[in-house]
Amino acid sequence: MQQHPLIAILTRLGTFVLVMIALSIMIFVLARVVPGDPARMALGPAATAEQVEALRQQMGLDQPLAVQYVDYIGKALRGDLGMSLVSQRPVSADLGQTVPATLELVLVSVIFMFAVAIPLGVIMAHYRDRAVDHVGRLLSLTGVTIPSFLFAITLQLIAARFLSGWPIIGRLDHSLGWTGGPTGLLILDGLLMGRPDVSLNALQHLLLPAFALSMAGIGQITRITRSAMIENQRKDHVLTLKSFGVPERVIIFKYLLKLSSIAPLTIMGLEFASLIGNAFVIEMVFAWGGFASYGLQSILQKDLNAVTAVVLVAGLFFIVANLIVDVLITMIDPRLRRKEAR
Amino acid sequence: MADIKMLDASDRGLSAGYMMWYRFSRNPAAVIGALIIFSVIFLAVFAPLLTPYPKHIGAVVDFRARHLPPDAAHWFGTDKAGRDIFTRTIFGLRISLLLVIGVLGISVPIGAVLGLMAGYFGGWTEKFISGLTNVMLAMPPLVMALAVSNLLEPTLMNAMIAITLLWWTWHARLIYAVSKQIASEDYIEAARLAGAGPMHILFREILPNCVPVISVKTTLDAAFVILFGATLSFLGFGVKPPIPDLGSMVADGRQFMPDFWWEVLCPGAAVLYTTLGFNLLGDGLRDMFDVEN
Repeated sequence: MQQHPLIAILTRLGTFVLVMIALSIMIFVLARVVPGDPARMALGPAATAEQVEALRQQMGLDQPLAVQYVDYIGKALRGDLGMSLVSQRPVSADLGQTVPATLELVLVSVIFMFAVAIPLGVIMAHYRDRAVDHVGRLLSLTGVTIPSFLFAITLQLIAARFLSGWPIIGRLDHSLGWTGGPTGLLILDGLLMGRPDVSLNALQHLLLPAFALSMAGIGQITRITRSAMIENQRKDHVLTLKSFGVPERVIIFKYLLKLSSIAPLTIMGLEFASLIGNAFVIEMVFAWGGFASYGLQSILQKDLNAVTAVVLVAGLFFIVANLIVDVLITMIDPRLRRKEAR
Repeated sequence: MADIKMLDASDRGLSAGYMMWYRFSRNPAAVIGALIIFSVIFLAVFAPLLTPYPKHIGAVVDFRARHLPPDAAHWFGTDKAGRDIFTRTIFGLRISLLLVIGVLGISVPIGAVLGLMAGYFGGWTEKFISGLTNVMLAMPPLVMALAVSNLLEPTLMNAMIAITLLWWTWHARLIYAVSKQIASEDYIEAARLAGAGPMHILFREILPNCVPVISVKTTLDAAFVILFGATLSFLGFGVKPPIPDLGSMVADGRQFMPDFWWEVLCPGAAVLYTTLGFNLLGDGLRDMFDVEN
């Protein structure tokens, strides 16, 4: 059943589109059937019944649910996610402002995860049951078990106590007079617009929250990398290489690492779910003002259009991340260039 | 012949149990994990007898005693209303454990049954259940739980419902993978030929083989549920004050950082202690049953 890798990826893409449709139906229905009238909520208790009814018609709330849904999706595909009842601005504009902040945070966290977890896992597997291994296991166990809010606040405490002047909240110092760049990713914008001081300042702000956000993933990926490395050391072809006298270094970096990166990558896909969840906590603790903060606010204020958009964007983000992971795994693992075995 | 068989069976039953105990007792991580969990359950159950200020779980205000640092009278210090944080932390463990029982007590059986059905029946049942599982798994759970619990009403009960709605999928997927593999074994075919109905095959033939996987996953999940619940209540979706709850205690204490650090670190450490216990035990059980990751 040999299948072209492109077809496998296209099939996957199709599945993801279906998942996205199902997700959108679910959140849409959920947001519409809850008790409470969004029109009444938008206008406040002082509005008359006629005013509320007029707004209901204007918002299309008097139409059947299916009609409302098709209408919503049609508009959403053209970038119109409705108005936010709280900020009184288009939801898409709010998202455009907040998504880059979270994207920057998440990207740097993912870089942290791999930069720390993969080497650590490799070293632990190499020195199995020695001191380094025990310390690493304790570290990864802590990463998996510590509540993200506790870790984030502890980091803040440590920074406030021992690194005076190190920024512990926000994305940028106001004193820099930064008015915004083309991408919204501050580090990149600073470089593009010839303001390295902005990039540096943004990076300083970013390090603590990104580290806090990556901790759970570091724990998880370190464990998986370690056990994959240990398991693959016993594979026949690795033993063959060893018996040929191929240096340990070459075996580890040329053969074992590639083989052992499949399991951590797979976990990475799932890890994105908790990454998005933890972003809510991290953004709150570090006053980050990103997409997750916006989501939390809109949920607290029952801003239905915003909530629907936030859940959809979070789902889309998760799905795209998993798609990228799938493509990477297919590139690494020749066995998977066949039809999905899972 | 019959004699030998009987001897063999009883003999094996004994040694299997003993082997398990042997493996367990030789695994320090698992023993420590079990001890931690026992201590948490003990503290939570007997909280009114063990804590120095059981009245402080209510709306007690004692302004002369507010923000006291940890000392002999208040092991974890006091909070903004002068209430003993140690007492409130111990009572907070009750909420965490209730959440675990509530969520896993519902979602594990549901997930297991759906997983068993999908794995055994195949066909449309399989397609439908695994499709539903995939859709549910595509949602970042915390985002979904926040949306559901708030669209209803931000209470612990609704948070629990929201978590339960999402949690069964992980079990369904896991049990599905295991039962699909078992369903193709010869002894299942033999049972079917002997006239066993689907109920018998699902629950008496396949389910017992899933017990190791389920128990490992459930133990590890208990840690996740506690983390998840604490995170939800930290974000403001927990029990109503003044009922003590670890996540909201941390959120309350956060306003007084960094001066009154104990108000954050002590309840936070209680969450860490509990999740650590469940993780250690889960890893230990995995080694004991020899279940793959």
